Order: sequence, then C-alpha cells, then structure tokens
Amino acid sequence: MQRRSFLKGIMMTGAAAAVVSPSLAFSAEAPKGPNAMDLDTAIKAITGGKSVSASAKVQLKAPEIAENGAVVPVSVTVDSPMSAEDHVKAIHIFATKNSNVRCADVMLTPANGKASFSTRVKLGTSQDVMALVVTSKGEFLSAAQNVKVTIGGCG
Amino acid sequence: MATKSLVKIKPKTYKVGDVVEVSLMVMHPMETGLRKDKETGNLIPAHYINDVKFSFNGTPFTTIKSWESLSTNPVYTVSYKVSGEGEIKVAFTDTKGDANENGTKIKPKA
Repeated sequence: MQRRSFLKGIMMTGAAAAVVSPSLAFSAEAPKGPNAMDLDTAIKAITGGKSVSASAKVQLKAPEIAENGAVVPVSVTVDSPMSAEDHVKAIHIFATKNSNVRCADVMLTPANGKASFSTRVKLGTSQDVMALVVTSKGEFLSAAQNVKVTIGGCG
Repeated sequence: MATKSLVKIKPKTYKVGDVVEVSLMVMHPMETGLRKDKETGNLIPAHYINDVKFSFNGTPFTTIKSWESLSTNPVYTVSYKVSGEGEIKVAFTDTKGDANENGTKIKPKA
C-alpha cells in the first residue's frame, strides 16, 4: 500500500506540474519587478490625493475578450476642444492588476488637435484597463473597461 | 545599436488644419524583467522603451513615458493637427540608454 500511495503522489504532483503552466506557477510566486507599483500609489502620484471622477468624455476602447494577453490593443479618445485654455494635458493608461500598473504616461499639448492615444499593452490576467485623464483646468477624469484574458501575457 | 522603427501618417493625403494620426512602430523586445531564461533559469533583465518624444520642426508636441507593460514591438499613436509643411521627428530611448530617432515629412495638399 505504501508503495502505491507513493506512486500516486508522484503522479499527482507530476500532473499538477504539467497542468500548472509556467505562467501560472509564476503568478503564484507573485513576482515583483523593480518598477512594481499598485494602482492607488500610481494614481496618488498623479492626482496628489484629489478626487477622480468617471466621465463619459473619456472613451476607452479595448476588446472585451483578449485571446492573447501579450498584445491587447487599447485606445483612448477624450472629447476636448484642445485649445490653449481648455485642453487635455495628459493621458495615463493603467493595467490594474499588472505588477507595475503603469503602462504609458502621455503628455499632450494643444498642437495635437485631438486628444487621442492608442497602443498595445500586455495583461497578465483578466483585469480592468483604466485611463486617467488630466485636463488643463485641473480636472481628473477616468474611464475603465474590463478585459478578459484567455492566455496571460507576462511570463 | 540601431533599432528598427517606422513613422507613419494616416491618412496619406491631408490639408492644413486636418488632424492626422502619427504612429511610431518600433522593433523592440520590451522585456518586463519578470521572464526567466528557459536554459539558465535566470531572470532576463528588464529592457523597455521608457521615453518617446514627438516634435514638429523642432518643437515638441507630445512626450510619452512608457513602462514595461507595453507589448513587444510597441506602437504609439497620437493625433497631430497639421499646421504647415515640415518634418515630424520622433526620438525614443530605452532603459539601456539606446537613443534613436526617426521621422517623416509633412506635405499638406492645397
């Protein structure tokens, strides 16, 4: 009996190791890169503790289901006249559950004509992608969308 | 080491006052620093583009700070309002200090 249970044990661990792919085993270790930063800290660094309001002016486009987390197209457009008095100063893109939530900080000027930015991001797991917009009037607007990831992109 | 990159304008024809999309595409590994080398088991150090500057005739109009969360071979697309003939230049630097520059000419149609 002992031998049987021993073999069973080996088979179980072997099977588990095969099923748990490197990426999953990796997330269990909770890797922290040198730039690891959580969402609250990242937002506070930008707003200085001021309140952020969700706004329909900010349009965030991302797929609802991403088959490959390594390449997720994200685009942000902000409804703004982009004049010298009233323009979007910055667009920040966050992936809320990556070890470093910051993806890109885009500093815009009135010369852009239109407040838009698009790129492709890596997502480790299913999570919210968030855009934080800073306007020249000192407002902080945000928009978020959930993206379901079938295969994670950080591993 | 020169990094391969491309600057594109969309649409191809435009007039003064039109808003066009300027994209920068770079061939870059964008290593997160969390991935392991399969043979040695060591972590591959982080290596990503952290600074991108778009400028028109020497005047910067957009600066981007990016992090390792962007995909391999990243694309950065921003808008630009065409003000006249000139040249758009895009300078980008990665965490190893490799600085590159690429550009494209702006020729609005009358």
